[in-house]
Amino acid sequence: MSDLVELPPRQTPNAVEVAPWLGKAQLLQSTPVVSVHGLKKAYRTHIHSVPVLHGVNLEVEKGEFISLVGQSGSGKSTLLHLIGLLDVIDGGEIHFEGQRIDNLATSNRDRIRNEAFGFVFQFYHLLPELTALENVLLPLMIGNGPLGWFFARSKAVSLAKGLLDRVGLSHRMDHKPRELSGGEMQRTALARALITKPRLLLADEPTGNLDDESGSEVIRLLRTLNREEGLTILMVTHNLEITRDTDRIVRLSKGLVVNEEVQPAA
Amino acid sequence: MLCIVSVMLGVATLIVVNSVMNGFSTKLRDRLHGLLSDIVIEAYDYDGFQDPKAKMANIMADPFLAKNIEAMAPTLEIFAMLQYAYHDVPFTRSIRLIGIDAQSRAKVGGFTEFLTQPERKTTPSFELTQEAKVRQAKNHVLDRKPAYFQELPMDPSAPPPPDPPPSKPHEPQGLIIGHAIAHFRDRTQGSEGQVKDIRALEPGDDVIITTVSGQKMAPVVDRFAVADYFRSEMSEYDSMYVFVPIEHLQKLRTMEDRVTSILVRLKDFDQVPKVIKRLKEILKNEPVEVQTWEQKQGALLAAIRVEKGILNILLFMIIGVAGFGILAIFTMIVAEKTKDIGILKALGASRFGVMQIFLGYGLLLGLVGCLLGTALGLAITQNINEIESIIGSITGQELFPRDIYYFDKIPTDVHPMGVFLVNIGAVLIAVAFSLIPSFRAASLNPVRALRYE
Ligand SMILES: Nc1ncnc2c1ncn2[C@@H]1O[C@H](COP(=O)(O)OP(=O)(O)O)[C@@H](O)[C@H]1O
Ligand SMILES: [Mg+2]
Repeated sequence: MSDLVELPPRQTPNAVEVAPWLGKAQLLQSTPVVSVHGLKKAYRTHIHSVPVLHGVNLEVEKGEFISLVGQSGSGKSTLLHLIGLLDVIDGGEIHFEGQRIDNLATSNRDRIRNEAFGFVFQFYHLLPELTALENVLLPLMIGNGPLGWFFARSKAVSLAKGLLDRVGLSHRMDHKPRELSGGEMQRTALARALITKPRLLLADEPTGNLDDESGSEVIRLLRTLNREEGLTILMVTHNLEITRDTDRIVRLSKGLVVNEEVQPAA
Repeated sequence: MLCIVSVMLGVATLIVVNSVMNGFSTKLRDRLHGLLSDIVIEAYDYDGFQDPKAKMANIMADPFLAKNIEAMAPTLEIFAMLQYAYHDVPFTRSIRLIGIDAQSRAKVGGFTEFLTQPERKTTPSFELTQEAKVRQAKNHVLDRKPAYFQELPMDPSAPPPPDPPPSKPHEPQGLIIGHAIAHFRDRTQGSEGQVKDIRALEPGDDVIITTVSGQKMAPVVDRFAVADYFRSEMSEYDSMYVFVPIEHLQKLRTMEDRVTSILVRLKDFDQVPKVIKRLKEILKNEPVEVQTWEQKQGALLAAIRVEKGILNILLFMIIGVAGFGILAIFTMIVAEKTKDIGILKALGASRFGVMQIFLGYGLLLGLVGCLLGTALGLAITQNINEIESIIGSITGQELFPRDIYYFDKIPTDVHPMGVFLVNIGAVLIAVAFSLIPSFRAASLNPVRALRYE
């Protein structure tokens, strides 16, 4: 792939940091986790067509922590949803780990969403009837199906408890979302996103609804995950403060990527 | 929750109604079948046909029929008027006068078991018992002329009255009379307690029967004495049938050696179609009709069937209403849970997975409703008589007028297959009606659901 030649030098240390066991050869052959080409999207109502993305190009390398910025209404959430296969595109291509995914059958899209992606939303989107623990278990329940879940359950529960412990919520496991603070809800949502060991974490303004302290705690967790486990993160944010913790800033304006700046290594 | 209750009620009513109707129809069928024998070879009219003995011999000559036929009984049937005096008040009834040979009729079945005197059940006859003979004699020692026989003032110019028909002053022929003809129902006791029958005719009492004789239908009158009662608990029969010996009736009607029908009983009822076919072949030149008891009572049985069918349709509509309840509530749930459905889909739930949740919920509602409904329905069916009497005592109205049916209890018959089908139907309806909302839930666009708080 010709892209390999253009790999910015910052990628190599990161990747090695992430996967020191990988040989050099493999590293060089590694494809971007996500690559988006000429992505177009318009929202159609019965009369109007609202064009939102006009041909977005973007590559996300393995182990990168990218912040996606731009004015409100510039299409950041749309882009995130399209990459996350939550919506269908109107033009262009989306590749995930070298495989084209935008044209897959619905069942395969569901499967990728369940197994390979983790989502964190601004409004947490936890199920109100379930406890924190059950919410964290949800992706595994969905992925296993009713029968598989019967066998997978006990292992999944200990995994979920470990994750809740990791986000500092082991004492809140049996609480319903309404008994949790915003920060706690978002950390629960983060644990839920992580339980399938996703290869890409998509976060849409994860701190948008949180106070500074809770927000920075979430960002700290993301940063740690990225550093220690090599989790690839694509995060939409408004907060410039937060972008400083990330590897790269991608700016979206009027449906196009207008600027990509590489952060000096923190 | 409400869905479960409505499914439950629907299923329960269906089961109760079906069980009671089955009970009625089975009991009715059993009795009709018992009374009617398996196959009836019948003349086209009351003039009957000649020489039943030869016909029966002819039938038995066929090896297949001989092997399958258990018994045959020639029968002579005619309408008649019956009159008796109760406390010197005359009572006149129209009846069906049936001439039979007690022995052979007994073999066909549906006769001796309905006689009330135990000794007659084993040796059926028209003989009066000793007691009855005593009473008969006593009645005639007094020989009071019943008040109703007072002659009208005679018109001297009128021709002299015709000679009275030949009578047997000393030994009237014994007969077996339908229970309801010989008894009055005591209605003074109200709805509470057991209804009581008042006997109007004791064994040995006289009755006078008027029927017609010969081709020209000349009226004939004869005096009989009550030997026993026939109580089948089918009011149509108990209030109409009077049995007399066939030879006596043949003489009375001047129809020597003629009968109106031959009752046939088979060894195995399942052989009916084959036997009928064979009988029709043998008797094809005779002026008779060969029918099963079911065909003979076809109209009544068909009416019961139609009634049951219509009721079932109506009751399934109740479940249909419950189905619409499920539809409405599920549609509401889908609308309310749009966001949660979106979350599930965002986390990778497939269309089928989301549908499964709602279909599963519908199935659960259906199953729980059916289970409770079946339990409730069976419980009601089991205790229907107690429930009926409680409701009867509260409302003061008897729901189940016993004197119409002569059933002392409401008969019920639970068909496991029927209960099963009702359950299957109800579950299918529940699932079918949750299909539409679940489909809508499955096609929800997750982004639309997730975008805003
Ligand atoms: N379902 C929709 N129908 C029509 N327009 C929409 C719809 N969703 C989003 N938009 C429009 O698309 C544009 C981009 O939205 P979005 O991707 O949410 O922007 P951002 O997340 O950057 O604020 C906005 O102008 C918004 O009004
Ligand atoms: Mg947005």
